[in-house]
Amino acid sequence: MKKKILFSVFISVFILAGMSLSSGAEKSLLLKDGKVITISGDTIEGGDILIKGRKIAKLGKNLPAGPDTEVIDLKGQWVMPGIIDSHSHIAIEGGVNEMGDLMTPQVDIKDVIYPEDINIFYALTGGVTTIHTMHGSANPIGGRGIVLKLRWGKSAEEMIFKGAPLTIKWALGENPKQTNFFLPGQSRYPKTRMGVEASLRYEFEKAKDYLSKWEDYRQKLKAKKGEPPLPPRKDYRTEVVADTLKGKYWVRCHAYQSEEMLSIMHLCKEYGIKLVCFEHGLEGYRITNELVKYSAAVSTFSDFWSYKWEAYNTMPHAVALMAQRGVLVAINSDDAERMRRLFVDAAKAVRFGGLSELEALKTITINPAIIMGIEKQTGTIEPGKDADLAVFNRHPLDPYTVCQMTLIDGEVYFDRAKHLEERKKAEEERKKKEEEAKKPKEKK
Amino acid sequence: MMKKIIILITIVLLTIILLAQDNTDKILIKKATIVTVKGETLQNEDLLIENGKIKAIGKDITSPTGAKIIDASGKFVYPGFIDGYSHFGLTEIGAIPSTTDIRELGKENPELKVAWAINPHSVHFKTSRINGTTTALVAPEGGTFPGLSALIKMEGWTFPEISLKEVATSFINFPITAPPTRGERLGPKRETKIDVTAKLVEKIKNYLDEARHYLELKKSAAKDPSLAPPELNPKYEALAPVLDGTLPVIISVEKAKDIELAIKFAEEEKLNAIFRGCTQGFKVADKIKEAGIPVIIESLYRGPSEPEDGYDAPYRNVVELAKAGIMICFSSGTDPSLGKDLPYHAARAVAFGLDHEEAIKALTINPAKIFGVADRLGSLEIGKDADLFITTGDPLDLRSEVTHLFINGRETDLSNWWDTLYEKWQTRPLKD
Repeated sequence: MKKKILFSVFISVFILAGMSLSSGAEKSLLLKDGKVITISGDTIEGGDILIKGRKIAKLGKNLPAGPDTEVIDLKGQWVMPGIIDSHSHIAIEGGVNEMGDLMTPQVDIKDVIYPEDINIFYALTGGVTTIHTMHGSANPIGGRGIVLKLRWGKSAEEMIFKGAPLTIKWALGENPKQTNFFLPGQSRYPKTRMGVEASLRYEFEKAKDYLSKWEDYRQKLKAKKGEPPLPPRKDYRTEVVADTLKGKYWVRCHAYQSEEMLSIMHLCKEYGIKLVCFEHGLEGYRITNELVKYSAAVSTFSDFWSYKWEAYNTMPHAVALMAQRGVLVAINSDDAERMRRLFVDAAKAVRFGGLSELEALKTITINPAIIMGIEKQTGTIEPGKDADLAVFNRHPLDPYTVCQMTLIDGEVYFDRAKHLEERKKAEEERKKKEEEAKKPKEKK
Repeated sequence: MMKKIIILITIVLLTIILLAQDNTDKILIKKATIVTVKGETLQNEDLLIENGKIKAIGKDITSPTGAKIIDASGKFVYPGFIDGYSHFGLTEIGAIPSTTDIRELGKENPELKVAWAINPHSVHFKTSRINGTTTALVAPEGGTFPGLSALIKMEGWTFPEISLKEVATSFINFPITAPPTRGERLGPKRETKIDVTAKLVEKIKNYLDEARHYLELKKSAAKDPSLAPPELNPKYEALAPVLDGTLPVIISVEKAKDIELAIKFAEEEKLNAIFRGCTQGFKVADKIKEAGIPVIIESLYRGPSEPEDGYDAPYRNVVELAKAGIMICFSSGTDPSLGKDLPYHAARAVAFGLDHEEAIKALTINPAKIFGVADRLGSLEIGKDADLFITTGDPLDLRSEVTHLFINGRETDLSNWWDTLYEKWQTRPLKD
C-alpha cells in the first residue's frame, strides 16, 4: 500500500514538474541572416527574426541571442509569412459534399477534421501554414467550414485556428445546378440560375420566419401571462441560415459568372447578409467596380480554366486586373497538389497582367488572411503576430525556388534538410532489411 | 486581244503575289544569344530563315534583299519546344462532351487515329504557343489500346498543314498495380494485386498473339491462293507496324513493379517501346536505362504515386531518370488549356536538381529523337525547320516573355483568347 502511495506521489510530482517546465520558461528562437519579406513593410536583407513562445517578438538586424535562445542560421535564404490557402478541401474525413439534400447548412467540417491526412504534410512542404478547409459546392447552401493551422502530428482539436471567424459555404452555377453530372433518375431542382436564386430566397424567408417564431416565444415567456408557451420546434438546418442572417457566419460563395455574382450581391443586400468572398470568381474581373463597392473579395485560381463552360471566359491576367482595380484577391488551391506550389501560381500574376511582386505575394499571405478574418494573427512578418513562416532557398517567386522550412507558432513543422537525412536513413535501413530477408533463401 | 490582256494581268498579279511571299519567307534575326542545343550557345550572332528552313547561323550575316530584319539584341533564340503528350485539338471545354473527342468506348481500339479528329483552330493552340511550344504529340486516351497519336505543328489551316506524322505512335495502357490494402498485407494469403496485374498483362499478350496469328494467316493466304484469307480485322491490321517494330508504341506505366513487368513485356513482344509516366521510375532507373527505353514525363503538377515515395518524388524522379542517362522528354499532360505550362514543369524539375541544359534538351532535341524527327526539329542547325522562338530571358522562367515565334519559318500570331478578354475588360471605366 505504502509503495503504491509513494509511487503515485512520485508520478504526480513528475507530471507537475513537466507542466511547469513547459509553461514557465517561454521558448525563444532566433532566425538569423535571412532576406525577410515582411509583406507589411520593406524586405530586410540580412534580417533576424526573434520568436518568443508562439509569437514574433522582434524584427531587425544583428539581434542578440540570449543564453537559452535556439538559433537557426538561414544563411541568406528568403523568409516570407507562412502561405495561407483560403480555399481548400484537405484534412476532411470522407466526402466534402453532403449530396443527400439541396440545402445542408447543418453539416459542419469541424466534425470531420482528419488530422492524419498526408496532404497536410505535403502542404507544409510548400510553405503553407494556414488553410480554410470547406464543404464542397454541390448545394446552394452547403456546410460550414473551418480554419486550421497545419500543426501536423497534432489532434484535430489542436489544429483549429482559435478565434478565426466561422464560415458557411454557398454555391451558384453549374455545380448546384448539376449541369455536368449525369445521374440517371437523380435529377433535382434547381436546374437553372433562376432556380438557385429562388431556392436561396426561399431558405432566407424560412429563416426569417424561424427567427420571428422564436422571438414570439421569448416575448410570451417574458410576459408570463396565462399558460406557459410551447417553444417552437428546434431546426438545426434553418437555425444556421438564421444565424447567417444575423451575421454569425462569414459567407463564402462559390461562383464563376459575373451575372451570378451580381445577382447574389443584390440578394444579400436585400436580406442584410454579409457575403465576404466569392470562391473562384473567374469572371470577377468584369465587375470590379461592383465588387469594390460591395467590398466582396475574390478567392481564385491563378490560371486554371476551360474545364467547364462557366470557367471559359477568363484569363490568367484576371488576378492582376482585379487586384489593380482594388478588389481584395487571394490565390487559392482548391486542390491538395496545387497547394504545394501556390508560390508558382503567385508568380503567374506577375507574368500575366504585370502585378507587382509584393502584390503577388500578398495574394497568398495577407489577402487570404483578411478574407478569413485572421489578419491580426498571421499573414505578415510583424512583431506580435504568430510566428508562421516559410523559408525558401531563392526568392519565392523565382522559378527554381524550393521551400526549405516551414514554421507554425515558432515550431518547425517541416525542415527539408532534416527530412532528406531521415529519409536516406530509412531507405538504407529498408535496403538492409531486404538484403537480410534474402540471405536465408540463398542458403537453401 | 482581251484574252491577252487578261493573261498579262494574271501574270503580273501572280508575280506580285509570289514576290510578296518571297519577302516574308526571308527573316534575319540579328545579334541574339542563340541556344542551338546542338552545340555551344552563340553570343551576339545572327540567324537567317529562308523558305521555312534555317538557312544560316553566324556573325554579321548580310541581309538578303527583301528580308525582314528583327533586332534581337539582349534576347535569346531557342528551338521550338516539343510537347511530348497532349490532347491539343481534341478538346475545348473538359466538361462539355460535344467539345471533347479524346476517348472512344471499348478497351481495344488500336486502329483509331486522332489525326483527322484534330481541330487545328482550337483556342488552346494559341494560348499554348505563348511559351514557345511549336510541336506536340496529340494522343488518344482510354482502354488498353487507345489508338494512334499524331505529331503536329502548333499552327496551320488544316490537318495536312499541321501534320508532321499522321501516325506517330501506338499506345498501350499498362495495368496499374495498386498498393496492397491493409487487409491484403495482414490478412490470409489470396490473389494479390500483382497477380491481377500479371493476368491483365497476359490478356494484352494474348491480344497481340491473336493479331500475329491473323497477320500470319493473311500472309499465308497471299502466298497460297488455295487458302482463304481471314475476315478483315482493322484492329489487328493496325497492330501490324507495332508488332514488326516499325511503329513505336507508348506504354503508360507508373509503379516500379509494373515498369519491370513492362520492360519484360516490351522485350518479349519485341516492341519499339516508349514509356510514359514512370512516376516510380527512380526506383528502377538502371533497368529502364538498360532496356534503352525513353520516358515521356507526365505533368509535374502531381503528388507522389505513394506517400512512401517522398513528397518530392515527381521532381526527384525526373532528376534520377536523367542522371541514369535515360532519354527523357517533358509533356504538359492531359489538359490542353494548361499547355503553356510546359516549360514550368521543366522548371520544377530544375528546382529539385535537374541540370538546366538537360531540361532544355528534354523540351527540344530529346522529344525530336524519341518521335523520329530529329532530322527536322529539336535544335538550331542549318537545314532544319525554322521552328524557333525569341524570348526575353530563360524560357523556363515565368518572368520571361516570348516575343516572336516561328513555325515553318513563318512568324505566328502570339495573341490569343486571353488577350481578347484582357484588352476589352481593361477598358471598362473605373467608378467610385
